[in-house]
Amino acid sequence: MYISDKNKQLNTYDAIVIGSGISGGWAAMELCKKGMKTLLLERGRDVKHIVDYPTATLNPWDFKAGLNNTMKDREIDPVQSTAYSPADKHFYVSDAEHPYIQEKPFNWYRGYQVGGRSLTWGRQCYRLSDLDFEANHQDGFGVDWPIRYKDLEQWYSYAESFIGVSGNRENLKQLPDGEFLTPMELNCIEKHLGDSIRKHDEHRLLTIARVANLTRGWDHRGPCQNRNLCNRGCPFGGYFSSNSSTIPAAMATGNLTLRPFSIVTEILFDEQQQKAKGVRVIDTLSNEVYEFYAKIVFVNASTIATAGLLLNSVSSRFPDGFGNGSGQLGHNLMDHHSSAGAYGVHEGYTEQYYKGRRPCGFLIPRYRNLQHDKSLDFKRGYNIQGHGERQEWMDKAQSIDGFGEDFKAQLTTPGPWTIWMAGWGECLPYFDNKVSLDNSRKDKWGQPLLKIDFSFRENEHKMMTDIQHTCGEMFEKAGFKNIDTFNYNKPGGSTIHEMGTARMGHDPKTSVLNKFNQMHEAKNVFITDGSCMTSSACQNPSLTYMALTARASQFAYEQLKKGDL
Amino acid sequence: MNRRLYIKSVFGLAVAGTASFSIFKWVSINRAIVPADLVHKRDLLAELAELIIPQTDTPGAKAAMVQDYIITVMLNCTPAKEQNKFIDGIAELEDYTAAQYGKAFLKCSPSERKAVLKHMAKNSSGYSYKILNKINNKLFGKPFFLKLRELTVDGYCQSQLGATQGLAYDYIPHTFEACIPLLKNQKSWATK
Ligand SMILES: Cc1cc2nc3c(=O)[nH]c(=O)nc-3n(C[C@H](O)[C@H](O)[C@H](O)COP(=O)(O)OP(=O)(O)OC[C@H]3O[C@@H](n4cnc5c(N)ncnc54)[C@H](O)[C@@H]3O)c2cc1C
Ligand code: SF4
Repeated sequence: MYISDKNKQLNTYDAIVIGSGISGGWAAMELCKKGMKTLLLERGRDVKHIVDYPTATLNPWDFKAGLNNTMKDREIDPVQSTAYSPADKHFYVSDAEHPYIQEKPFNWYRGYQVGGRSLTWGRQCYRLSDLDFEANHQDGFGVDWPIRYKDLEQWYSYAESFIGVSGNRENLKQLPDGEFLTPMELNCIEKHLGDSIRKHDEHRLLTIARVANLTRGWDHRGPCQNRNLCNRGCPFGGYFSSNSSTIPAAMATGNLTLRPFSIVTEILFDEQQQKAKGVRVIDTLSNEVYEFYAKIVFVNASTIATAGLLLNSVSSRFPDGFGNGSGQLGHNLMDHHSSAGAYGVHEGYTEQYYKGRRPCGFLIPRYRNLQHDKSLDFKRGYNIQGHGERQEWMDKAQSIDGFGEDFKAQLTTPGPWTIWMAGWGECLPYFDNKVSLDNSRKDKWGQPLLKIDFSFRENEHKMMTDIQHTCGEMFEKAGFKNIDTFNYNKPGGSTIHEMGTARMGHDPKTSVLNKFNQMHEAKNVFITDGSCMTSSACQNPSLTYMALTARASQFAYEQLKKGDL
Repeated sequence: MNRRLYIKSVFGLAVAGTASFSIFKWVSINRAIVPADLVHKRDLLAELAELIIPQTDTPGAKAAMVQDYIITVMLNCTPAKEQNKFIDGIAELEDYTAAQYGKAFLKCSPSERKAVLKHMAKNSSGYSYKILNKINNKLFGKPFFLKLRELTVDGYCQSQLGATQGLAYDYIPHTFEACIPLLKNQKSWATK
């Protein structure tokens, strides 16, 4: 490839951001707002807010086979089809087109498009606390986080204030409050369980989920109309996505260049400067290869893809992957488990119902190991997420016998109140849970396939048992019947909270990034997606990625101004 | 015995059961079906669905065109094994009707039709263990009656008539009201 000086100039920006999902959208917005000419590279197609949400306003009967995937879907997308339905299939990749290797079963759910998985995410937003930031240091598992809650506190506020998070203040140390819009409301059965929990255990409480769904108009968006169809994209802009929020804000500055259909295959190293000089890109429309240059590079391709991209960026300085002097790159992969929980039926409140479809459930914040508890046989903890409802036709059909008028009458009227809940649990960072490249197998663009080798271990399994136990107990105390405690034993990846493959740490020998998400070994590269996470905590992680991204952008900007980058 | 072991040992039983199956049965279960086989049964399926969810003060399955939903889902979204089980179920139903009443199902009186479907419903709960049933369903597909009923329910509750008249459909709720008194004759919400 020959690049003239003129082209080089044309292809040079102040900053490059790789990936336009939750964290990349934030990076692009922050850098643009600081006046930097920013190139946002996205491997997938463009998805424009509202106009590219083809299913958002469809009725159930508009889907000719209901929400069933076809046999063909299941055959070509054996992983993604377990998450998507005809309503949101277009926001997931095709496994056939984007294969990866599972050393052990691992569900890698992806959305390759502008907005990434911000379109389909569950919108749960929780802050980490010092219980989490100090955990590795306390029990010696994994390296110490180089930051504490106070480093991130203002950035959490900053992120929440921008995206709009509804929730209730609870004044808990293990789950700090945020800048909340009016909370959504618990229904009768959830209040009932909450009252019982408060009465029986002073350390536990049940609160409404904290979600990036707007309970009032916010930043020209929303309010949420309680349709609970968010994963199709929201025509009211009722929830946060890159498409509805950060990317338009970045566009509005006039500093953003968004380039979809651009797979970044390598980060280019400048031997003289000991820095990144830019990136190499395959244009998937023309199959041509381009190079783009910038003073700083933000890597936000999402945890597993980011690891793959860095491992694929080799040079004489970095024979084992970009910035991988520590040998930690690709390792310490984590995902929360959310397999264990319980389901129960309650006979009360038969005269009560609800109207509208609240797009979230409830949360029981972490209550295990708040102090080290010797009676427990596992480290760290979990929170419980769930929701209550009256049985409707989907569930009722299974339990009614026969057919005919009686059957119909029962089918079409509300059944008993039920609650389903499960524990979202911390996963420890294990060195040999990892992502690597298989250079003997290539995708259709000639790039090596990613290989994922991950399993949950003893600590996670013991925690799952405890979850079943405590969930069952809370139900029992609250007078629930037919309690079914379950463990779905879902494989890794199923909670879609992958993280840890380029962790932050104090020491370049044992970590990839410093406390500002800056690469130890290449100062102008910043990684602020989930790969930076030093431990997983048990909170849904994306809010933390946003806060870290905003903080790192500010730092990068200041360093650049000072001439240190 | 813990639950997992229990499932395993039950599973062992089911597998032994398969081994003693004739090759013929195995092949017949896994062959791909001919779409026409099902499409020809459209009228029959409409009547069967209507027996399950009849017209009352709200529309029934036939008016909601549930038969088309059943055919679409069967042909596009159902593994060959289950398709065959379903087709075989229809054949069984037809044979039984012929033997019992000497005529085709569509020629039967309402009470005869009901009796036939009752017979099929009885035939579909062969195992008393819930878990054994689950495994049996997995290996050989759901019994005909249960599959038919499941498809009828799904098709009806998501059809325009079923959702908006059989159930309560709230296209854009605007607000969420968390705890409100049940109305008289309150229908279930069609979507959640
Ligand atoms: C169904 C579902 C529910 C979820 N619920 C929650 C929740 O409730 N709370 C929560 O906190 N999290 C939730 N998550 C997880 C959340 O979506 C992710 O944590 C978040 O999207 C990660 O942000 P990201 O920026 O790292 O990656 P993504 O949002 O995945 O974006 C990555 C982007 O990078 C692009 N890309 C990848 N490789 C390249 C390349 N080589 N070149 C150019 N571009 C590239 C991709 O196409 C994509 O657009 C959920 C996810 C799903 C799917
Ligand atoms: S529930 Fe609210 S945010 Fe979600 S799609 Fe509906 S209106 Fe939009």
